[in-house]
Amino acid sequence: MNFALLSLAIPLFSGLALLLYRRHGGPWVILSSTLSLTAALIALVEVVDGRNQTLLVGGWAELLAIRLQLEPINALLLGFTALINLLVALYWVRNCRNHNYWALASFLHTTLAALWLSGDLFNWYVTLELLSVISVALVALGGAAALRPALNYLLLSLLASLGYLLGVAIIYGRYGILDVQQLSQVTTMDTPTTLAMLLMTLGLMLKGAMWPLHLWLPPAHSQAPTAVSALLSALVVKGPLFILTLLWTRMAPVELANKGGEFLAVTGIFALLVGGWCSFRTPMLKEMVAYSTVAQLGYVMLALGLMLQWQLREMMVALWLFVLAHGLAKTSMFLAAGEMQKIFGNKRVTALRGASQTAPVVMFGFAVAGGSLIGLPPSGGFLAKWLLLQPLFTDFERWPLAFAVLLGTLVSAAYVFRVVTLAFDRAEREPPTAGDPVSEWLTLVPALLVWGMALVSETLILWLTRVAQ
Amino acid sequence: MNLAWTAILPVAVVLSSLVPGLLIFTLREEQQGLRTFLNLVGAVVKLVLVALMLYGVSQGTEFRFNFPFLPEADILLHGDALSLQFVGLSSVLWLATTIYAIGYLKHSRLKSRFFGYFSLCVSATVGLALAGNLVTFLLFYELLTLATFPLVVHTGTAEALKAGRVYLAYTLGGGALSLMGIAMLHSIGGTESFTSGGYVAPLVAEHSGSLGLAFFLLVAGFGVKAALLPLHGWLPIAMVAPAPVSALLHAVAVVKAGVFGLVRVVYDVYGVEVMEELNLNTPLLWVAAATIIYGSLRALTQTNLKKRLAYSTVSQVSYIAFGAGLLGPLAAAGAFAHLVHQGLMKVTLFYCAGAFAETLGIHGVRELNGVGRRMPATMAAFTLCALGMIGIPPMAGFISKWYLGLGALQVNEEWGLAVLVVSALLNAAYFLPLIYRGWFSSPAKEGWPEEKSFEERLTWLPETHWMLIVPALFTALLSLLAGLFAGTDLSPLAWGLFIVEREFAL
Repeated sequence: MNFALLSLAIPLFSGLALLLYRRHGGPWVILSSTLSLTAALIALVEVVDGRNQTLLVGGWAELLAIRLQLEPINALLLGFTALINLLVALYWVRNCRNHNYWALASFLHTTLAALWLSGDLFNWYVTLELLSVISVALVALGGAAALRPALNYLLLSLLASLGYLLGVAIIYGRYGILDVQQLSQVTTMDTPTTLAMLLMTLGLMLKGAMWPLHLWLPPAHSQAPTAVSALLSALVVKGPLFILTLLWTRMAPVELANKGGEFLAVTGIFALLVGGWCSFRTPMLKEMVAYSTVAQLGYVMLALGLMLQWQLREMMVALWLFVLAHGLAKTSMFLAAGEMQKIFGNKRVTALRGASQTAPVVMFGFAVAGGSLIGLPPSGGFLAKWLLLQPLFTDFERWPLAFAVLLGTLVSAAYVFRVVTLAFDRAEREPPTAGDPVSEWLTLVPALLVWGMALVSETLILWLTRVAQ
Repeated sequence: MNLAWTAILPVAVVLSSLVPGLLIFTLREEQQGLRTFLNLVGAVVKLVLVALMLYGVSQGTEFRFNFPFLPEADILLHGDALSLQFVGLSSVLWLATTIYAIGYLKHSRLKSRFFGYFSLCVSATVGLALAGNLVTFLLFYELLTLATFPLVVHTGTAEALKAGRVYLAYTLGGGALSLMGIAMLHSIGGTESFTSGGYVAPLVAEHSGSLGLAFFLLVAGFGVKAALLPLHGWLPIAMVAPAPVSALLHAVAVVKAGVFGLVRVVYDVYGVEVMEELNLNTPLLWVAAATIIYGSLRALTQTNLKKRLAYSTVSQVSYIAFGAGLLGPLAAAGAFAHLVHQGLMKVTLFYCAGAFAETLGIHGVRELNGVGRRMPATMAAFTLCALGMIGIPPMAGFISKWYLGLGALQVNEEWGLAVLVVSALLNAAYFLPLIYRGWFSSPAKEGWPEEKSFEERLTWLPETHWMLIVPALFTALLSLLAGLFAGTDLSPLAWGLFIVEREFAL
């Protein structure tokens, strides 16, 4: 537990220090993310065989104290957050224009760490609020054009917070506790619980940009600085998702979970198809990547929904694999998209005409990341999709869902290869600015990591199967 | 992990083209010498390794490499008689096509990218040939799609990009369908290694519906690359690719990968008995027969030489699916032999078509008039292989058709013989005019469309760049030898019979 707290504290203190001393933010964040990553890995080793650890902050008694919990999945997410932060910082240190980014990124890291470690409804509310405020500030770093999307994001986020808070209040009024572990023992299927779950779910879906409440996401992502887009898609939307998963799997009464599962699964399928279609149609490059996030979150919702609907515990493994694979792939894709915007000085997809000749490394990174989003073997995206598909074939009535996954795959292939095909056009012009070779290679790293998951895939899957249930 | 030489060799065969390919990507455009060196070293090393493996398999050695990947589905590379048939073909034709491509692309740009993907493409082909289970097969099958796409769009013209989009739509769609089929089989019965006689028999009682659907998905998925009707649309469009790419696509890499997958599914996943019990072979046979006839009919009306050859591929590749679907030992032997025979003959035809186009600017069928006087050696190679395609003895094509015909009679499917005869007549109808024009018509008065003269010519073969003619003569010679010496132990037919012994446990 100490190392988990350390992993949380390091970015906190580095962020505070950066408020006072504003220079060398990049190296500073790289160092603190590396240390935080190391601490998270040690914490992961401590709980790797499934022995959970809890800490009652301040030594107060149960129900009074804020309870922090370290489970294998939390530890994994802790490390994942530090890793993504590190990868983004490595790229951004060469390209950053606004030094406020570094302190904010550190606070974002801290907030997410706190979110993963928390286990009660109100703590989550606090971390969600912090997350939104920091994210809005980060989006606003994009300059004048980013102000309107940032403001919209802020307003919608407040609305979402209200919804969530109202749900929390109802639960507290009904049961008098906020701790999810405790609540799981007492919740029953009645109107207040149903209403509370509905409000919290809608709030979280809005915050997590889950279809159809995703409308703030594409404009915010496309106007934000590149590193911010990467962090938003890879990490920030995963926060509400994490809470949603825990609420439904741990707290919701079974009959309600069955209904909620159906709703989530159907919504997930729509997200997959509609998000994919929007991504295929949009003329702007970063918006295309942002809509792809909406689509990919559909897979996660589908996995969650199926788990609830049919009690398929193994779907948890698919869900976390989607989170990891999507995070890595999306980091690469946003960094590549940003790098290409920089090189070609144009924000449209068509600017990439001939990019495989003029910016081969970045384009390769983009395509490799896209391969994982499509789910081509042996990438991380494939592993997740494989696990998602397995239970769908055992039962005749689940076959239509497999068909939906098939359609989702085809749509993702369409939006990825729409860009890749353009890149092979020979009607190329010399790019207005020469790329920076180190930055170009750095955009490729997360994509290689997501394909590298194949090297440890069996161990990873078996371990997740053991601990995720 | 096992590090015996029998485990390392299959990996080495894949790496012998993968590593040079990755190195080539890093080369600058002007590092011509180093690039050629890497290409040729890779190709020769691969040939040597494959020869070693061929010898090993004929002596009964088992080659097996596995690496954990999914729970109960390892990455498994495994050299059995059937995979070696395909690996052998790929490595010989890779060497020939590399030489051809070096000559063909002498003056074009982006050669490092081209040869990089070219090597990846061969690695993927060899990988899927050696794949020991469906999951590994799928992995290389998708990699093959990704590696060939940049080759198809290599010229980067609007037409090439359009062809690339069509190609991707078909092949990624096919890949997704096969993923569904494979995931489905895995979910009901696990993924086992390919075994002669199949491994799904214990599931028949309980899951016959699922098995049927999975078979349909797999045939549709692999049928896209194998250009089975109605999934063949991409193949004639993809011929906008440079000639060496078309040669590779039509003879080894893509279409063969599809049909090889079909053969694996029929013999090593489902097995003859289950195929018959569930009556899965009849629809496959009908589709294959329809494709054979349809491809030939469409070839008749094509006025573009490469397009005519492309439709001919649609038809000829389905012979293999047809032979596999007949489920008899003789038909299977014919199908396995045709895998190699068709590859040798079709690659030659594409080499020649490319040589005509590069040297004289010939693209249309009419422009072939009198080309035999200007380029006699190329036309001779073309003629030999065109006759082989029709099935005239002693060319290799005759041998495979003979066995396919016998095989149809052996399993009492006499109509199969009729399909073969009609197809042979149609083949004659679209190949003989080409041969006639080449040798007996007089050249157009205004000269050739776009004549180029190469400096790198052989004194005794001055008609074109030596790198364009030598590979064509080499493969034409091989297809003649494969037919002439079909009775010996070293022929593709003998190896096909060897596979049949194992598959049917004769």
